[in-house]
Amino acid sequence: MSSQNAALPRLRRAIDHAAHLLPAQGPIAIFIHHNTLHALEDLPFEQAVARGAAVFGCQPYLTEERFRGILARGRIRTDDLRAVMRDDLGGSVEERVLGFGSRLDLRLGMLQYPVRSGSAAELRWFVAETDALRKVRPDVSAAVRDRLIAETRRWVMRDLRRGGEQPAWAGELLRRFCEADIEKWSEANWEAFTIEALWRVCQQVVRGVPQPATSPVPPVRHRDLLLNVANVDTDLPVHEILIRFCAAFLDQGVSNWPLPHREEGFFRSFCALYRDARGSPKSWLKELPAELARLYDANTDPLESACDSLHALGVPEGAWEGFLSATLLALRGWGGMLRHVEERPDRVARPVPPDSLAGFIAVRLLLERFALTHAARETLGYTGPLEGLRDELRHRLPHRALPTVEERAFTVFQLAQVLGWTPDELHRLTPGEWGLLLREIESFPEVERRRVFHLAYERRFRDQCFDALSLHHRRKPAAVRFQVVTCIDEREESFRRHLEEVAPGCETFGAAGFFGVVMYYKGVADAHHVPLCPAVVTPRHFVEERVVEGYADEDRRNRWFRRLFGSASHWLHLGTRTFALGAVLSAGIGVLAAVPLVGRILFPGLAARLKHRASGVFAAPKRTRLQIERTEPEPGPECGRVGFSVDEMTDIADRTLRDLGLIRGLSPLVIVLGHGSHSMNNPHESAHDCGACGGAVGGPNGRAIAQILNDVRVRTKLAERRIAVPEGTVFVGGLHNTCNEYVKYFDLDLLPESLKTLFAEAQVAIETALGLNAHERCRRFESAPLTLTPAGARQHLDARAEDLSQVRPEWGHATNALCIVGRRERTRGLFLDRRPFLVSYDASQDNADATVLTRLLSAVVPVCGGISLEYYFSHVDPPGYGCGTKLPHNITALLGVMDGAASDLRTGLPWQMVEIHEPVRLLIVCETTPDVLMKIMDVNRAIGVPIRNGWVQIATLNPTGTGLLLFRDGAFRPRVPIAEHLPHAATSVDWYRGWRDHLEFAEIGSDREGA
Amino acid sequence: MNHYTESLAFLVVAAPALLLGALGVASLLDRRWSEPETSRLIRWAVAVALISALGLVAGMLATGEPRVVLDLGNWVEVHPHGAGADHPGYHFQVKLVFDQLSIPFLLLSLVLCGTIGAFATRYLHREPGFNRFFVLYASFVLGMVLTSVAGTIETLFVGWELVGMSSVFLVAFFQERQAPVRNGLRVWVVYRVSDAALLLAAVLMHRMIGAGDFDKLLGGGAWPGGTASVSESQALLLGLLLLVAAAGKSALVPFSGWLPRAMEGPTPSSAVFYGALSVHLGAFLLLRAGPLLDASPTLAVAVVVFGLLTALLGFLTASAQTDIKSALSFASLAQVGIIVAEIGLGWRYIPLVHLLGHACLRTLQFIRAPTLLQDYRHLENAIGGRLPRQPALWVRITPSRLRVLLYRLAIERGYLDALLALLVEKPFVKLFTWLDRLDRRATDSLAGENRDESPVAWDHVPPPSGNGTGHHAALGHGHGNPPHTPNDE
Ligand SMILES: [Zn+2]
Repeated sequence: MSSQNAALPRLRRAIDHAAHLLPAQGPIAIFIHHNTLHALEDLPFEQAVARGAAVFGCQPYLTEERFRGILARGRIRTDDLRAVMRDDLGGSVEERVLGFGSRLDLRLGMLQYPVRSGSAAELRWFVAETDALRKVRPDVSAAVRDRLIAETRRWVMRDLRRGGEQPAWAGELLRRFCEADIEKWSEANWEAFTIEALWRVCQQVVRGVPQPATSPVPPVRHRDLLLNVANVDTDLPVHEILIRFCAAFLDQGVSNWPLPHREEGFFRSFCALYRDARGSPKSWLKELPAELARLYDANTDPLESACDSLHALGVPEGAWEGFLSATLLALRGWGGMLRHVEERPDRVARPVPPDSLAGFIAVRLLLERFALTHAARETLGYTGPLEGLRDELRHRLPHRALPTVEERAFTVFQLAQVLGWTPDELHRLTPGEWGLLLREIESFPEVERRRVFHLAYERRFRDQCFDALSLHHRRKPAAVRFQVVTCIDEREESFRRHLEEVAPGCETFGAAGFFGVVMYYKGVADAHHVPLCPAVVTPRHFVEERVVEGYADEDRRNRWFRRLFGSASHWLHLGTRTFALGAVLSAGIGVLAAVPLVGRILFPGLAARLKHRASGVFAAPKRTRLQIERTEPEPGPECGRVGFSVDEMTDIADRTLRDLGLIRGLSPLVIVLGHGSHSMNNPHESAHDCGACGGAVGGPNGRAIAQILNDVRVRTKLAERRIAVPEGTVFVGGLHNTCNEYVKYFDLDLLPESLKTLFAEAQVAIETALGLNAHERCRRFESAPLTLTPAGARQHLDARAEDLSQVRPEWGHATNALCIVGRRERTRGLFLDRRPFLVSYDASQDNADATVLTRLLSAVVPVCGGISLEYYFSHVDPPGYGCGTKLPHNITALLGVMDGAASDLRTGLPWQMVEIHEPVRLLIVCETTPDVLMKIMDVNRAIGVPIRNGWVQIATLNPTGTGLLLFRDGAFRPRVPIAEHLPHAATSVDWYRGWRDHLEFAEIGSDREGA
Repeated sequence: MNHYTESLAFLVVAAPALLLGALGVASLLDRRWSEPETSRLIRWAVAVALISALGLVAGMLATGEPRVVLDLGNWVEVHPHGAGADHPGYHFQVKLVFDQLSIPFLLLSLVLCGTIGAFATRYLHREPGFNRFFVLYASFVLGMVLTSVAGTIETLFVGWELVGMSSVFLVAFFQERQAPVRNGLRVWVVYRVSDAALLLAAVLMHRMIGAGDFDKLLGGGAWPGGTASVSESQALLLGLLLLVAAAGKSALVPFSGWLPRAMEGPTPSSAVFYGALSVHLGAFLLLRAGPLLDASPTLAVAVVVFGLLTALLGFLTASAQTDIKSALSFASLAQVGIIVAEIGLGWRYIPLVHLLGHACLRTLQFIRAPTLLQDYRHLENAIGGRLPRQPALWVRITPSRLRVLLYRLAIERGYLDALLALLVEKPFVKLFTWLDRLDRRATDSLAGENRDESPVAWDHVPPPSGNGTGHHAALGHGHGNPPHTPNDE
């Protein structure tokens, strides 16, 4: 045993390494967007997706078929493909490939035309049952087709029949087509002959070129080998037990009956549960109980057991890591959740004891041992030691056949048609040239083609962005009436645009939606504190909402009612699942359930209104304040320690105003809107909330920053730091519900009389803008008619949010693609189609070290980049990286969703959220100089690494001019504008009206407004 | 009996039949209705059926008729041939009965199906399998209506089959993944057993009384009255077969294992089909056959025993389930077990009311299942702290060793699937492998040669290790690809 004990630290390390590949998603109720391939972030993007494809079995890019559709739609242009290949290959792109045109033409042909492939049997069927050997492919242009036939005809008539060296197949083919009548052959006959001849020549070409030797790596897991050899899947019985046990172990409260011995950890509770042999009829587990009892009684460490299992399975120490990661990935969702809950106990109600992941591996390996022994005996008659099973299986692994001549020839055959290579030309090549041609074709495989497509896809979008930004004239409101600050979220882009259109005197700003207030927050009717700040930060301060003096009685009464109502509903909720009570309830009042059932589904809007009215009785008092000022020196959740000190508040105010570039020029009224989203029947609801607030509703942050900035003492201290907040300026906090387009304001009772008219003006403008925003959003919902009015659109959204059957309450971040860090005047009046995160930044107010920009980028790159990449991967491979369709989802353990009643925990985003997303990498455009940006990237790894590895694209926009420089291959390079002017429309509505798809960028309104 | 009620009765069945025709024929001709058209068709069909049913009830109340019978005559008739033939001939009689049992069940089916139909048209919006779902939905609705109002066992069998078939295909709705197909197959096998029992019962019934008419078997008269016209032992035999049929459909012990597996389908189908309607069909059948139970005390005892066993298992299992859909489906099972036991005890109206209430309640809970997280958050906020998580009293007083055993029994779902595999599946497969070998040896010796028919080696590409759910990421054919890529429809 001692030699083994020495190996344990190494095993722990191997497990740690292997576990890096597990999905990092936490509990679904606090959804935090992150790069799905975070584990591979140290690799360049293109390598990482290829590696991800190999490790996770997922797609790296969209499929060629999708891309060809996009090409046909004109979203990618042939020019973009050319440009990408020129960038890739440099000068060699113009090299001629034998007599067949340039390499560029060859590759372009391969991109434009689908080149089908298949197994030999499929091909034989295809050739025999379709027109493939009678007609030229239908997508070949008439000119190429005519040339093919004419050249072949000449070749046959001039050379082939006049002796000379005739290919072996020629005689037979001519006989079949009735050589005697050759002069009377119809056009169709000649076409068929051409194609047949081409097919024969291609086979002849391929036959002359030796196969490149490839030896596929056999799978590492016993299960995969056994599946190949004997077609039994040992993961089925193993997962059946493991999934149930993991769910029971992690359960946060679905079941009221906790797993026995849970507190002893994963491994020991499993042993305790399954150690009793009585009752189990599963023959493959006959010997498990005895083994578990032994392990439990000997108090064996899970690592030790895992070590024993690895030895028993015949996995040498050097191969541990690879084997363990493959094993862990077989149930990656559950493994990842175990790891997450173990590492972040603060994020769940019922944390798990340590070493759960090690226990998971130990249990899994134990189960695999029994399942493998049993399956090998039953199906292969293998009774030898388990240690030797892998070698035995590898030995029996059926050899994968090399591609046949037909398979290889078929590619050339199709390309020859679309590119117009005649049988004659091919036939005349020497064997050496044949090899060259084949290598040329085979050096541009499918993944490479998809990569080129992807780069062209991004390039086209980038060009449009650059054109829009460099051609757009700066615009500023002539006279600022009021200012509105929102989150940088791309969903606010359209809201801000409409607001500025409605109220030309309004100026808008964007800042990360926690507005610098990092806090644990508890509302007056909330049970717990919620962290309201980016996920990477752990708050130290607590803020609470309290009822205003004089409402304490009402509050107490409501609380009592709420508690009573809550307990009763909980009791009912559980009661319907019990025996006798369930019988009484369902027989007695069950039929009444038909009322809410029919009401909520057939009349969702009405039902929601009734519900709101009814819940008014229990609602928390309307008049509340934030307890935001601390009296004790140290922060904490207790009374007196809640809140910030005045100095801390000043720091927050300082930072937020500087980030916004608002150290001067404040208007009398500044409205700060946090955002959140509410929808029914949506386990992924939290993914629609504010990412900067860690997947929570950001209203309290807007309210808190307004309260801080309204504080006279804070303003005095700010003045010392040379930030002037005019005496008359008032900040109002609010919450923008991005699902049903409502804005709620806080503390309006504190608004001074002098500002009431201005506020009313602002409020009207905001309401109008919300209507228009709803209208613009509705164009993307197929179930909303395009003829809706703004008021109708708001009604539609209202019903949508409350609809139990709605799987797309809102599109969330689904259109994000761009991030613009700069002054709003660079984008004001530009229709950006809800694509960009808009971060306010004024380079002229930043210091020489670009402190503000560094701060902004260190949030923007991981947060916006993470959102964009999560959407990218969930769209590119919905069932692999995403969690597939929502329709069969089933909430498990209150932590995540499964497909149906027993599957892996599904991580990533559902298809219904990412459906309309364009999977491109985020393009960040920074209004700064390349030198400054380069310095920031050099100093900050967290900013530099993702950019240098291409996980996001970045460009600079000249703060004083219109020049744009794109970062590529380690340097900023200028680019030439393509378009000469932007399309123009009078209002946003005029531009997007009647259109469901993504739109090009356009100038909105007149230029006269600008300065 | 007048013209008015008869035509309404006819409409109740004709509307869903026309719906199935419209959706099914269009699909066969590869001319699918668009989403809005489909949803309009469904709304109209269910509304017409529901309004006719309500009109029928009104008519019956007005005239005081306790029941309306619509006899559509014999659709197939085989006459006994030869004078001394000992077989009585056969006929396939279609007869619909609207009485105090069928009308509540019919109304329940129509209300729930209609509501869920409206739910599903939005829930499945833009889903590649939209059309397929609603073709299956239509056959389910027709099946439910036919079963509820069936006046002969052959009519009932047709409805029963329609429900079974559509359910199986709905479980396997996501056919590009392995698990749904596997689980669909499982449901199919159980349904086959249950159908075989029903078919056997139908044949026996014809033998015993020369007809499949329930009126002849159960003595006519308005439900729940009537006395069985067969002897006690005949009632027992017939009743046991019906019990097996009911057990399969209602997931009674030992067939309960399929119920959570049926959750693989989209939420609306699992809600209405397994949570609410089709799981109650078994109980409904037993209610219909009530007089048989009255005639044979042994049968009644058997029904009570199976009901109680199921209820206990359902309750025990539901207590330990950690995903909401399984928890709800086992909770359903517990109530279905109780309803069956109530029927065995000789009650009629109590189980009927229990069944109706339970179906509504469970449907609501199933379709609200995805909102569980919010519901819990609201409850916690209302209570002002974590929800109390105290195990039930019976759990707390159980000795700890026994508690562990019970817990394992609960999360292993009573080991019913494993038991069926051990006691039924394995011997069955063994027997047939043996027969297959025998057969081959026989044919070989007849043909005088040794043909090697051993299965061809599987040319298997391993699924990328780690797709725990068994999905495979085929190029462009994965589930949920945008509508402009070819899908598997
Ligand atoms: Zn936000």
